[in-house]
Amino acid sequence: MNVLDIRNLTIEIDSDNGPIRLVDGLSLQIAEGEIHTLVGESGSGKSLLAKAILGFINPRWRVTADRLWWRHYDLLALTAEQRRSITGRDMAMIFQNPSSYLDPNSSIGEQLQECIPTDDLKGFYFRRRAELKTRAERLLHRVGIKDHDTVMRAYPFELSDGVAQKVSIAMAIAHNPKLLIADEPTNAMEPQTRGQIYRLLSKLNASQGMSVLMITQDLSAIMPESKRISMVYCGQLMEVGTPQQLLEQPLHPYTEAMRSMSLTNHQTAAKTRLPTLTGSIPTMANLPIGCRLGPRCQYARRACIETPRLRKQKQHQFACHYPLIEVNNYD
Amino acid sequence: MTEPLLQIQQVSKSYYHKTGWFRGRRSLALEPISFDLHAGETLAIMGETGSGKSTLAKLIAGVEMPSSGQFLLRGEVLEPYNYQQRCRHIRMIFQDSLSSLNQQTTIGQQLLEPLRFNTLLTLAEQQQKVLTTLCQVGLLPEHYNFYPHMLSSGQQQRVCIARAIILEPQIIVADEALVALDPSIRAQIINLILDLQQEMGISFILISHSAEIVKHVADKILILHHGKLVEFGTTEALLSNPQQQLTRLLLGGE
Repeated sequence: MNVLDIRNLTIEIDSDNGPIRLVDGLSLQIAEGEIHTLVGESGSGKSLLAKAILGFINPRWRVTADRLWWRHYDLLALTAEQRRSITGRDMAMIFQNPSSYLDPNSSIGEQLQECIPTDDLKGFYFRRRAELKTRAERLLHRVGIKDHDTVMRAYPFELSDGVAQKVSIAMAIAHNPKLLIADEPTNAMEPQTRGQIYRLLSKLNASQGMSVLMITQDLSAIMPESKRISMVYCGQLMEVGTPQQLLEQPLHPYTEAMRSMSLTNHQTAAKTRLPTLTGSIPTMANLPIGCRLGPRCQYARRACIETPRLRKQKQHQFACHYPLIEVNNYD
Repeated sequence: MTEPLLQIQQVSKSYYHKTGWFRGRRSLALEPISFDLHAGETLAIMGETGSGKSTLAKLIAGVEMPSSGQFLLRGEVLEPYNYQQRCRHIRMIFQDSLSSLNQQTTIGQQLLEPLRFNTLLTLAEQQQKVLTTLCQVGLLPEHYNFYPHMLSSGQQQRVCIARAIILEPQIIVADEALVALDPSIRAQIINLILDLQQEMGISFILISHSAEIVKHVADKILILHHGKLVEFGTTEALLSNPQQQLTRLLLGGE
């Protein structure tokens, strides 16, 4: 069953030259206990999507959607207060630079204890406080920090990147969320630390059935356990499928380009030129019409000035007029 | 065997921490290290966080002074604090391209500055040189009058590379210059670096923790661990026959 169901989400802002569509008709479904990876380069609107789900919406944005459902709640129909109580209970988010998202002025222990729900604590002040401390310690153990005393006493600047990210994961899972949104949690981290964070997230996913929406930049650095991948470019959905489908037989030129650019499968000999997409990512003020990949796509033809519809074949969705492999029986 | 371009002889770096009014403690960030770099070669420096790889890069670029040892460029000693001598031969590129450019002046002005301080060209010649360099890194002459914030991150990184190559140096030190870029832009910049190396015969010293980039670009790899040189050799040798557990871990990826 899908816990999160988004159909045709559009985010617009007004500018001097008329409205700009930052996110153009994105659809996303996440099943219960699924790890879903959202891959997109900078300016693709992936962080905006995460903010729209959580409801951190700037009043200047116009968010419209055919459907923005979290379990059986229609999030767009709720008042801000109701929505906040639902998202606050069921969702959590972790960010890119963990040490900059922690409060530099208070110790990790204080910050962690603030995040723990206190409704079911019993007894007098001292007993409640002792209980809170043991809960914080248990949380740190759950994210794989054994030396809890040192970490609780430390301030954010004293922690390494990996430990700080683990602490922020501990804060995020303090109230047992159903969905964890991870916005590039391992960007600019070393491969070893990245592996640790990925293993921790997949362990939490397996043991608690927590769905994870993983947002990342690089197709070669996706979590190995992710069930489905969505490729986004400039706010448009390009292709959705399982990692196997996307990495072995992509239908969209963008996925193909991202796959051949990554150096992991290493078909290119060392010290040779890499295949690239020409040009740079367009800025939000100068988005091309139709398929936004158009100006950079080597297969672009005249029909590409119209936005392609999302087509589907065996759970493999793609939005392209000229897919790389001839597809006949789609719907 | 030809003469090496850059010889690094017993270079070390230590920092002094005050622990009391009269007492202090010395901590060794980089133990004495020696190796050679040949012309047209790419050397990758790898290591975990805090292994001293950025310290080594700063020492080579002359941003910090070594506590002991010396650098020889084609047999000539690179004197500490002689920035004019060093910056003509060794240039550096940083990770965050936007913050390493001056926001207040145009791209053209920023590229003119190294020429003004280090060459005897007339203004017209300097401007001509800036325009040809801009074209060389894949930008347009119109970008001369642009401010850094008007460019995308890939173009900003190209400006940084233009600033590095404008004095026609022999060595460029790139400290994690490829990490923060988008994948498609990163591939473009890697291509640019490879092209420039072929055209101008520049040696690159690349600091990176990404095994894939290092495998693709580097001729030689140097592995550091807690400020000590652990392993040094050609990429093929280190990939096929790593001597250390750490080398295997760093190059094996995850």
